[in-house]
Amino acid sequence: MANEKIKGKATENSNLKGTLASVFLLGFFLIFTWVSVYFLFLERL
Amino acid sequence: MNETLKVDRRDAKLALAHIYVAFIALALGGLAGLLQTLVRSGKFTLPANISYYTILTTHGVLLGLVLTTFFIIGFQFAAVSRTAGTFSDRVRFWGWIGFWLMTIGTAMTAFFILIGEASVLYTFYAPLQAHPGFYLGLTLVVVGSWISGFAIFAHYARWKKEHPSQVSPLLTFMAVVNMVLWLVCSLGVAATVLIQLLPWSLGLVDRINVLVSRTLFWYFGHPLVYFWLLPAYMIWYAIIPKIIGGKIFSDSLARLSFILFLFFSIPVGFHHQLMEPGVEPFWKYVQVVLTFMVAIPSLMTAFAMFATFEMYGRSKGATGLFGWLRKLPWGDARFFAPFVGMLFFIPAGAGGLVNASHQLNQVVHNTIWVTGHFHLTLATTVVLTFFGAAYWLIPHLSGRVMTKAMNRLAIIQTIVWAIGMAFMSGSMHFAGLLGAPRRSAFSTYGNSPQALEWIPYQIAQAVGGTILFIGIILVLVIVTNLAFFAPKGETEFPVGEVAETAERTPLAMENWKLLISITVALILIAYTIPFIDMIQNAPPGSKGYKLW
Ligand code: HEM
Ligand SMILES: [Cu+2]
Repeated sequence: MANEKIKGKATENSNLKGTLASVFLLGFFLIFTWVSVYFLFLERL
Repeated sequence: MNETLKVDRRDAKLALAHIYVAFIALALGGLAGLLQTLVRSGKFTLPANISYYTILTTHGVLLGLVLTTFFIIGFQFAAVSRTAGTFSDRVRFWGWIGFWLMTIGTAMTAFFILIGEASVLYTFYAPLQAHPGFYLGLTLVVVGSWISGFAIFAHYARWKKEHPSQVSPLLTFMAVVNMVLWLVCSLGVAATVLIQLLPWSLGLVDRINVLVSRTLFWYFGHPLVYFWLLPAYMIWYAIIPKIIGGKIFSDSLARLSFILFLFFSIPVGFHHQLMEPGVEPFWKYVQVVLTFMVAIPSLMTAFAMFATFEMYGRSKGATGLFGWLRKLPWGDARFFAPFVGMLFFIPAGAGGLVNASHQLNQVVHNTIWVTGHFHLTLATTVVLTFFGAAYWLIPHLSGRVMTKAMNRLAIIQTIVWAIGMAFMSGSMHFAGLLGAPRRSAFSTYGNSPQALEWIPYQIAQAVGGTILFIGIILVLVIVTNLAFFAPKGETEFPVGEVAETAERTPLAMENWKLLISITVALILIAYTIPFIDMIQNAPPGSKGYKLW
């Protein structure tokens, strides 16, 4: 079936390593910001 | 009713009318913004006894409410006409009725703000009391937008009828989700305006339940920010892939994220009321959890964008971890402006997670940090995406083409905006962490050492604000050119195609009975008990105040 052919092609060609790295960097940035303000909060308690 | 590559001329006029009003609002509101930053620097006072709060109300209403709503409805009319076919005369007629109601309402609201009878800021919190004309004008804006929403629904229903068991065009589906979201949430603001604020400002009742009015406002106010954001996401998901020459990563993922926004962006208004007495902590907690759920579709969007760009770059032979970045069309303002908007959404989203956390909210609540936050989300991410869309949408609708020179100016505009906003919003964030309040004219608070610490940041805000104002002048030059002076010709309305590798979209995604039932159920769970509590255990209401 045509569909299966397409699927096969997909697994060969789609390399999304950069996307994986990007979302990790994004996640780290979110955590870093949150933790920074959290420490500010603790300091002012 | 065939799918057309070009928006019909009559539909184009309707869309353009909305866009013109949006950019007039940008001109006036931008001037107010510049004046605010100058006043707050302490080096400038407004002439002729004009109140800072009159200017600030003008700015918030014109940019937060008018620019956004008009641009969004105009853009959506164009996108629906382009992807689901030319409107019937009836749909277009009601679109014009909606336009005129909104425009008359805007003029009325602006009039009462400018004569100093409504300096209640764009959130019009009780017990600040405006002239009844202010509330009536806002009511007309909302009713007009509902009529336009129903015009879009009618057109969508007709498409579905003519294409049984087919998945609707992605942009049309997204516009419908956004208008359903708008309709459900604006019921809250309509309720507080019509049942509480208007009778109270007319003097029919003496006192108002402040907590109920604020709760109804934020029941509306948070989804409002998604009403702004979703059209930007429409452009990112469905249009940017075409502009860069790539494919939509996944149609289902795009639709699913919109559905999640519909579910989770309404039952979360308490995250704006975390410091509010009179709401049980448990219900605040429930809504904070739901708020973190609404971060998920935004993270999905980030993933989809990275994937779209990487797939495209690799198809052009990019190698290495980030080589695909180099393949993107950096010289094309239709891509560059929204892309810079996306970049700014990273710090914007990070700030949003801080705002939404109950304890951290205590650090930033009502400080200028919050203003810095939404000048990233709204005034950069959303606005730059809209500017980027205007660069093809306006010439498409006006039958003109963007020249190379205008494209270059648009690239410069984007850079100017990014620099100005980095200064203004960055210093707002830092000053906010040091406790500087939002919504206040310049004061040294009796030379208190803490307030003196804020002044350098306020000067930086004025520098940023001045640069941003130059950005506003540039975009107005470009938009005027595209609407009236650019060479005649055909401009493409780009609509992306789905990658062949993507899964097929399940039809269940358009089961509106199910979608709306879940939306309503979540709202009832999050709001019913605390809302009853606010009414049953209400303190005596408040009289109206005019503090300006
Ligand atoms: C020239 C560009 C701009 C400048 C210099 C500017 C400046 C400012 C400043 C200084 C404030 C806060 C003042 C205070 O809290 O006392 C403010 C508030 C606000 N701005 Fe802007 N802004 C600009 C563009 C925009 C844009 C494009 C939008 C929306 C699309 C926007 C939406 C808002 C809103 C909704 C408020 C809140 C008003 C309130 O708290 O009542 N601004 N702006
Ligand atoms: Cu919110």
